[in-house]
Amino acid sequence: MTAQRPFEGLKVLDLAWVVAGPAIGRVLADYGATVVRLESSVRVEVGRLVGPFRDGAPDPQRAAIFDTNNTGKLGMALDLSHPAGRDVVRDLALWADVLIESFMPGQMQRWELGSEALRAANPRLIGLSTSLMGQTGPYATLAGFGQIGAAMAGFQGLVGHEGAQPIGPYGPYTDFVGPRFSLVALLAALDHQRRTGEGCWLDVSQGEAGIQFLAAEVVAAAATGRSAGAHGNRDPQFAPNGVFRCRGQDAWIAITAQDDACWARMAGQIGGEALDPAFADLAGRKAHEDRLEAVVQAWTLDRPAADLEPQLQALGVAAHRAATSADMVADLQLRERGHFQRLPHPLGGDSVFEASRFTLSETPANYVRPAPHFGRDAQQILQGVLAYDAQRIADLQAANVLR
Amino acid sequence: MAWLAPYRVIDLTDERGLLAGQMLGKLGADVIQVEPPGGSTARAVGPFDDAGRSCYWSAYAAAKRGVSLDIANPAGREILLSLVAGADFLIESAAPGHLASISLDHSTLMTRNPRLIHVSITAFGSSGPKAGYAASDLVLWAAGGPLHPHRDGDGPPLRMSAPQAWLHAAADGAGGALVAHFARLRSGAGQHVDISAQQSVAQATLSSITAAAVGDTTFATEMRARAAAGAGVKWRASDGLVELMLPAGPAMGSWSNNLFNLMRREAALPAALQDWDWATLPARMETGEIGPDHVAAARAAVADFLALHTKRELGEMAMANKILMAPCNTMNDLLESPHLAFRELFAAVGESEVRRTLPWAFAKGPVGMFAEPRGAPGLGQHNAEVYGDLLGLSADRLDALRVEGVI
Repeated sequence: MTAQRPFEGLKVLDLAWVVAGPAIGRVLADYGATVVRLESSVRVEVGRLVGPFRDGAPDPQRAAIFDTNNTGKLGMALDLSHPAGRDVVRDLALWADVLIESFMPGQMQRWELGSEALRAANPRLIGLSTSLMGQTGPYATLAGFGQIGAAMAGFQGLVGHEGAQPIGPYGPYTDFVGPRFSLVALLAALDHQRRTGEGCWLDVSQGEAGIQFLAAEVVAAAATGRSAGAHGNRDPQFAPNGVFRCRGQDAWIAITAQDDACWARMAGQIGGEALDPAFADLAGRKAHEDRLEAVVQAWTLDRPAADLEPQLQALGVAAHRAATSADMVADLQLRERGHFQRLPHPLGGDSVFEASRFTLSETPANYVRPAPHFGRDAQQILQGVLAYDAQRIADLQAANVLR
Repeated sequence: MAWLAPYRVIDLTDERGLLAGQMLGKLGADVIQVEPPGGSTARAVGPFDDAGRSCYWSAYAAAKRGVSLDIANPAGREILLSLVAGADFLIESAAPGHLASISLDHSTLMTRNPRLIHVSITAFGSSGPKAGYAASDLVLWAAGGPLHPHRDGDGPPLRMSAPQAWLHAAADGAGGALVAHFARLRSGAGQHVDISAQQSVAQATLSSITAAAVGDTTFATEMRARAAAGAGVKWRASDGLVELMLPAGPAMGSWSNNLFNLMRREAALPAALQDWDWATLPARMETGEIGPDHVAAARAAVADFLALHTKRELGEMAMANKILMAPCNTMNDLLESPHLAFRELFAAVGESEVRRTLPWAFAKGPVGMFAEPRGAPGLGQHNAEVYGDLLGLSADRLDALRVEGVI
């Protein structure tokens, strides 16, 4: 017998786009919720416009980011600038237990779909708004993507070579942090609603979620007055802690000697200058770190990362090649854990998407359908979920609202 | 009552998983942080204050009660199992196989409490060919994908100088725990939630790691080029750096035009650039009408304009004019931010010896959804109330355990 899925019967209206919002509904869909996602096929969301694309051919229907963040959802294209489109949203908000949106703060109110109006109509509704800076405060309407969130949250100064202009983190970093906090807040709200019957509206700021990942640096700045900076790959508590070039094109290995004993074992393999007693303890290695790194670099340069990684791990030294996409798809550990998943896509070939981040022993994630292409599930949503009759659906089509 | 007040969490994590229990604790769960009698290794993780105390511990052990316990000792193990019997969640970040080696494997825990949700936070997952790999923040960043594409020029791939990998994994631990909680509400049964930091970190690649699987063979090269161009999005303000994206093309060019409209109004746009249009720029470059020199001149005009203003002024301009621009805040900027003060993000909390300022609520919602802020526990600070009030151990028994080095 299959265990009942954790969110079986939970009804979710997903108006979110790109990553920080859609990633929340994706988790709910993985574990059994019915998630209805609305989008515009005219003002196409950014998640459909950024690669990688299937076979490298730019196509908003076949974008890998979109597929990963929207697997399992029902999808419909809808024009929210049209009053009839907003009526559909209102009906779905009456149906839903959970609503997730990531428009610019104030946009839902301008559409008369604000939290007060929707909660008055459906008091049990749990709404979640995720935005760059939150719904309130002087910077609430700051526009942009996770790169801007990362700047506001303090990340942009924390990646770079010592003394050089920092380059900041890869990608829209707070988009990766925000949904983790959104999910936990939302599930706590659902549990509270289950016990009390009370709905609510949650306001998650990507910037503030990001700052939770810099809490130690905030505590330190408040205590000492000094702000954290960028120090290449170095770490005050480990040496070497670096990324070294290996044999092959653009091949690199990350190595951390976790303690003096790890370094001693590694130095035994390297031999020569690595055995210098000056490197025996952390203080010595930190004092001569340029030379230390040069010794390690000289050793790795002619060796393939695929050999170095198991060799160092066999010594108990933390090491891993800097994985490329090809490395990750071939990675035996990720393969064993089923990280890259596939479902047949109605437009041809497969939809490839990343697995749930949680491996649950009794109620594993279940991927029932690939992410929707434009308008795929309009009939099922309008007729099946909302019980609109054929005339009403025809009227929406005639008014060009389903786009 | 804060939202998760009905639930108790036994937290065995160290620096690899502290955040998971904290997220539940901030929402009101009674989180009991269990440390070895010598203190958690997380107390030795930087950054440090000027007295050498760990700010990492202060930041991520807050919102918990703390007890000391040697769980490898048979008496200590029995006490832990008594705590587990009355708990809703157990979160741990031990290396795979470690708990089994001290007779605290998953099935032993579940026998004592079939409703238990047992969350494991490990580097690569509890099983598989790399489950025994040694790891660090940098090594996980390499294994999870965000490291390789991220360069400054020809230098090596770069990680973030504030360690992030275990935070991604721990935050997923909290999410997975609550998903399993909803399963338990239906079945009455607990289960194992297995978190792999490698997979959690992969979230920070924007799914670019799927390129090889979808057959996008040129994507990696494009990604490198984009990362290299990333250095161009930092600009100098009069008092620091700002992030400014200047996208061109029909979809996004209007964001950049908003900046030029502002510069025009402020008479900061050179005469030669009066007709500049970022939306049609790629098309006009294709025909050769506009060359790289023109683009360099346009960027130089931007640099001149930005250098005249402070980060805060530029942030306000970005908001008023819809420009993809923001100050690159430092930690001190965050502590002084009027926006974050308005939203009451930071809380001052007491610890045994010191006061700390840290971010508290991670969402805004109904009053009372979060617990009152509380600081990280001292070592064994709540031994008496947890072992006495919760488990009913007598004062004499606690003294004996202390003498034996169990607590």
